[in-house]
Parts: sequence; structure tokens; C-alpha cells
Amino acid sequence: MFQVYLPIAEMSVNLLVMLGLGAAVGFLSGMFGVGGGFLLTPFLIFSGVSAPIAVATGANQVVATSVSGALAQWRRNNIDFRMGTVLIAGGVVGAVIGVLLLKVLREAGQAGLVISLTYVALLGAIGGLMLAESIRAIRRARAGRPASGRRPGQHNWVHGLPLKIRFPRSRLYISSIPPLVIGWVVGLLTAFLGVSGGFVMVPAMIYLLRMPTNIVIGTSTFQIIFVTAVVTILHASLNHSLDVVLALMLAAGGVMGGQFGVRAGQKLRGEQLRALLALLVLAVAARLLFDLVLKPEDLYTITPVLKGA
Amino acid sequence: MRTLLTLVAILLGLAMATAHAAGPPPSDEVVSDISTREIAIKSNFAGIEILIFGSIDFSARPAPETGAYDVVVVIRAPGQAIVARRKQRMAGIWVNGPGVTYPDVPGFYAVLSTRPLRAITSEETLKSLGVGLGNLDFGRSSTNDANEQSFRSAVIDLKERQMLFQEDDGGVAFIGRSLFRTSVDLPANVPIGRYTADVYLFRDGQAISENHSTLKVNKVGFEQAVYLLAFRHSFIYGLIAVVIAVIAGLIGWVAFRRE
Repeated sequence: MFQVYLPIAEMSVNLLVMLGLGAAVGFLSGMFGVGGGFLLTPFLIFSGVSAPIAVATGANQVVATSVSGALAQWRRNNIDFRMGTVLIAGGVVGAVIGVLLLKVLREAGQAGLVISLTYVALLGAIGGLMLAESIRAIRRARAGRPASGRRPGQHNWVHGLPLKIRFPRSRLYISSIPPLVIGWVVGLLTAFLGVSGGFVMVPAMIYLLRMPTNIVIGTSTFQIIFVTAVVTILHASLNHSLDVVLALMLAAGGVMGGQFGVRAGQKLRGEQLRALLALLVLAVAARLLFDLVLKPEDLYTITPVLKGA
Repeated sequence: MRTLLTLVAILLGLAMATAHAAGPPPSDEVVSDISTREIAIKSNFAGIEILIFGSIDFSARPAPETGAYDVVVVIRAPGQAIVARRKQRMAGIWVNGPGVTYPDVPGFYAVLSTRPLRAITSEETLKSLGVGLGNLDFGRSSTNDANEQSFRSAVIDLKERQMLFQEDDGGVAFIGRSLFRTSVDLPANVPIGRYTADVYLFRDGQAISENHSTLKVNKVGFEQAVYLLAFRHSFIYGLIAVVIAVIAGLIGWVAFRRE
């Protein structure tokens, strides 16, 4: 019952499972302002979808959840459009490089390994840092001191760079180089790992650019729409790895979950939100690390030779 | 004149006699067919069972011989190139090692028979017909190298687990003396293309007759349109996918907004 055939993945999946997966990822996406791809891509692979199709389809699904997420954030005036534009400019360049890099690694048969190692390193480092910081913030709040990590007037090395732009919504006057580099890294990750890159972008903007947390979440959701759209088109054109039927099912679940996620996120305090996100990120990293270290059930793998390879 | 006519009659008779002697001895023939000639993959496709049936035609001989008849049915999809890799431990993690490329691995291969293949005929006959999972060459000449052999058996093993390679020793059943039937489950992940169904009739270890039919597996309707668009106009396909995603996002926002 409810089995649906996927024309590009050439397999049959359960409609309810895919709707549920989309909804769960959409909920987290709305709550934390992340695209949720770092959960979606591994879960798609666990359900038997091949890794390249999971990456491309995941990116396409994130377009849908981030559109509704960004609209909800825009209504709350949480988007810094000028900052978003700078991030997108860097993101598109990173996306092109990432798609080409993935193509080369797939042909060498090392895409899976490099993807997993990058995931473990990134998620482990960022999750650990975020968890440590948010625990400190929660303790400070319990001790009765102000919980905010943002201290206006405090400067770091970022403020010494040239090409300064004024970002009125974020109340910042900083160099455009750090946002460009952050956008570039995020674009690379989106194309390469099928993630929105929110888990890199959100902490980088909070800690490096010292933007207010609520505006960080709104702006990153806004940027994610454009970068994931570019990545979707690039993967469809170069790798033929996009399954629109699968994306549609995930999107239908995702937009519903996303709305509830935004509301749940409003009820939680900033540092609690960050602690939860940190725990989630660490759990995914641990799972991926186990898969790399434990002896695989199957030592052999077979993959079709890519056309034109 | 009379002698000439007689000569012609004798010559004709001789010619007929020789023609008859040069032809094959009366033999049993196998005829077969598939329950469907075309499989349409639609959105509800979750695999399909096909039926292959046939009969042994004894009409060429006055009285059928008694003897052990065996039927072997082979369903085969067009070949595709695949790479097999083995993971090895490096610095504590499992890493893909160098790959072995097989240029021509059937996308689907099922062999069904009345008895175990080795009991039906000799290994040489099976090899020359390309019947049996062990007798597929995958477009790469096999060596006896243990490493090479382990890769081959891993390919077969993985394909068997995906239900794309099947071997069923007792899959073909006789109904009465001449009718036989068998069924094959095509899983949802079958590749598209023109499949062949080869039916071999064996008696006393000899392949005495064979019959071939084809089966087309195609995507149709929406599934075909999506497939063609994705491969022929991939940029437009990507754009459409993004537009759909944006619309889905908008619908979600409008439907759930409570402000």
C-alpha cells in the first residue's frame, strides 16, 4: 500500500515514510533555521536511495522548506537582505566548484568516504563548540547574569578587514570578505554534501560576524533558498541525479513540518535552541563515525559506471 | 520418351530421398511464451511477476520417446558496465580499494530449471550456452586468480541480494507430459530495456531445442516523461524542479499562516 515508484532512482518507496521524513526534517529546519539536509541526506541513503540521488534530491527539497521558512522569518522582519545577497554571491561560486568536485570523486569511487569524513570533522567540531558555548550561556543565565553572548562594541579580527559594508538590519559595519567566504563554504557544502550548510553558517554568523541570533536564522534561511536552487539545477544538468517525484513527496511533508518548527523555535530561548542543535549535530557525527570505523557488513560495493566517465 | 520419363522420376525420387536424409532426425520441439510482452512502469510499480509457459511438441515423431526431459528458462536484461570495489582498513577506517570494471553485466538475470543445472547437463554445455550465474562472463575474461574470483562472486552475491540475479533449481514445473510453466519476480528496481527469454529443452544432457522471445520493460506516461526530460533536457528539468519546490514552499506558508 502507498508504494510509489521513483522514475530516476528506479525504485519503489513508501509514500507515508517519505512524507514523514520530509515533515521531521522540515520541523527541525523551521526550528533551528537550518536546511535539515544533514539529516535528510543520510536518512535517504539509509532507505536505499543512492548517494548522488540523495544529495541532489535533498538539495531540491531544502528549496521548498526554506521558502516557507524564509517567508515566516520575513514576516517577523528577521532577514538582513543585504547580508543575504553577499552570502548568495559567495554561495553560487562555491556551488559550482562543489558539484564539479563531487563528479570527480564519484568517478574515483571515493565520494562516499570523503563525504563521510567531511561530515564527521565538520559536525563534530561545530557541534562540540556550540554545545560548550551554549552550556556556558545556560549556566550564566541560571546564575542570574545576562545570557546574551552579544556584547556591542566588542571587536575581533574580522573588523580589521577591508571592503567594509554597512548592514543596517544587523546593526553591523564590517568587511564583506567574511560573509563572502562563509557563503562560498556553504555553497561548496550544499553541492558536495547535499546539506544546506546552515550548521556552518549559523554559528559562523553568530560567533564570527556577531550578528543577532534571530537575524542569523532568518538570513541563513533566505540564503539557503538560492544556493540550494542553484545546486539542484547543477546536479540535474551535470549528474542526472535528481528525482523530482521523491523531492515532491519530501517537500509536501517538509512544508508542513517547517511551520510547526518555526513556532516551536519561538518558544525556546536562544541558548537552549543552540544546545539542542549542538546535540543533534553531534549525534549525526557519531553515527557517521561508527559507520566508518566498524567493519562493514559488506566489504564489496558495486556501482554503475557513469556515462561519459 | 518413356525412358526419359523414368529417368526423371528416378532422379526426383533420389533428390527427395537425399533431402530427407540430410535433414535433422525427427526431434521434439519446445514452444513457449511470456504472460506479457510489455511491462509498463507507472507510479504504482512495485515489481511484477511474469509467467513463462510452454510445451514440448511431440508431433514430429510418431510416438514420443519416454525419457527425462528438462527445461531451462533464462531471462536476461541488456548488459551495463559496473565497477566493483572492496573496502580495506586504512588508519582505522574502511576505505574503498581499487575497483574492477565489468563492461557487460546483465541488468537482470534469472535462470530457472526443472532440476539443478549440473544434474541436467555438463558444465561445458552450460558454459557454451551462457546459462547459470557462474557462467556469465560480464564482458571480462575470467582468470583463475583468487582475487579476481572473489570480485566476481561479490558482484553475483550483491546482485542476488537486490533480486536482480536469481537462480531457482526447481522453478520450472511440468504439468502433465508436455506443458511446463514458471514464474519470475521482477523487483521494482529492474532496469528498462528489451529483455530476452530463452527456453532450452534438454533430453539426456543434450540441448535438443530452444525457443526465444522478448519482453520490453518501459517507463510509460508520467514516469517516461520525467525520465526523458531528466536525461534529454536536464537543465529545464532542474528548473522545473526548483519552481515546483518554490510553489510547494509558498503553499505551505499560505496554508499554515495564522497572522
